[in-house]
Amino acid sequence: MVRETLGELLRGGVVTLQIASGAWVVGAVLGLALAVMQDLGLAPVKALQTSLTISLRSVPQLVILYLLYFGLGALGIQINSLLAAILALGVADAAFTAEYYRAGFMMVPWTQREAGVSLGLSRMGVLMRVVVPQTIPFVVPPLLNSFVGLLKTATLAAAVGAPEILYRGQNAMSRTGQIVLVMGLIIALYVIVTMPLTRAVAVLERRLRSYALS
Amino acid sequence: MSQLASWLAILAGGLIVTIKLSAFTTLFTIVWSTLLAICAISPWRPVRVLAVFYNDLLRSIPLLALLIFFYYGLGRLVAGLGISSFWLAVAALTINESAYLAEVYRGTLLAIPQIQWEAAASLGLGWASTVRLVILPQVLPSGVPSTVNMLIGVIKNSSLASLIAVNEVTLTATILVSQTFEPMQVYLVLAVLYLLLILPISLLARWLERRFGASAGMVEEIAAPAGPRLAAQPGS
Repeated sequence: MVRETLGELLRGGVVTLQIASGAWVVGAVLGLALAVMQDLGLAPVKALQTSLTISLRSVPQLVILYLLYFGLGALGIQINSLLAAILALGVADAAFTAEYYRAGFMMVPWTQREAGVSLGLSRMGVLMRVVVPQTIPFVVPPLLNSFVGLLKTATLAAAVGAPEILYRGQNAMSRTGQIVLVMGLIIALYVIVTMPLTRAVAVLERRLRSYALS
Repeated sequence: MSQLASWLAILAGGLIVTIKLSAFTTLFTIVWSTLLAICAISPWRPVRVLAVFYNDLLRSIPLLALLIFFYYGLGRLVAGLGISSFWLAVAALTINESAYLAEVYRGTLLAIPQIQWEAAASLGLGWASTVRLVILPQVLPSGVPSTVNMLIGVIKNSSLASLIAVNEVTLTATILVSQTFEPMQVYLVLAVLYLLLILPISLLARWLERRFGASAGMVEEIAAPAGPRLAAQPGS
């Protein structure tokens, strides 16, 4: 029975992985877009961006998920629970990744931008060709950390019925009544995956930082 | 308009539960994190190792999983004692948040220069008195901004308690949706309520960071050189 339960949880784990990866891509891309918009500082865009960031940071992911799944559903735009989870978690994550990029941009000395402009690059060109490539060592570790975080928040998808690990775990619990066993297996799987990942990211962060600052 | 007013009247009840839930969690989290952080810098190796391992372990468990385990696992055991799902949620949220906040507190404790420990020891202070009289008073200001950021995280995460039948504002909204069949409008109102609750705290956190960041900044630079200051991570 342990084997059967473990098999079911692992199938859920695959879905968890899909949600986390999807949301991570959405968060990383949208976050970069937000950070670039803020950096270019076009007034109306900036106001919109600031209010968007504040809202995304203040509203729980579960509420964003409900808005996308039930809210849009009632308006006739029915998306499946997997996609809703990916979008909701990704959008919420973008508010934070934008901050990582922005902090990264600040690591590049201002004189480099002036140099870039004096060579005839546009402001956008300077940002994408001079600034962004240099921020990679500073941005990669927090982005990886946010992936580890997303592996955990992906459990929220259970609330809209996406068959990820916790959803399947709950089913197994009510079917077999083996609460402690199922609990133990889920915790074990999470520990096995996230603990080494967190450690690895910490090591990478130290290495990249000393490399970038040397 | 009268419809909105009646919705708000219903949601207000849930909002009060959300505030209570967050307040108790924050209080317990501060106490528990401080104890954990002190254990994590203890001179006794077993205590230190255990505290660090506990933190690492708890941080790898998703909050929702913890809530559900408490509800299904502990819930039946403690139901006889009259412990409601509200207190189970407080316990799960506290355990989850403390694992993160304790790390932050540990960082600020470690940022106190080693000489101060030596100076205190040479004055005849024991380890516990050094922590109480010398170290804690200095790190309290620098711990304030991250504690306020934690409060924001707690309020957001408390929405997950709706999934274990705590009648806080998200559950109240969900019940309202089942009566009105207007998920978009109700959940938008809910989102605005969270925004209004959290916005003043965000502004306070930002102000505190500027206020205390100036004096604590130098100490923190040593602990975490040149890194982007991370705000409270949601839901993890």
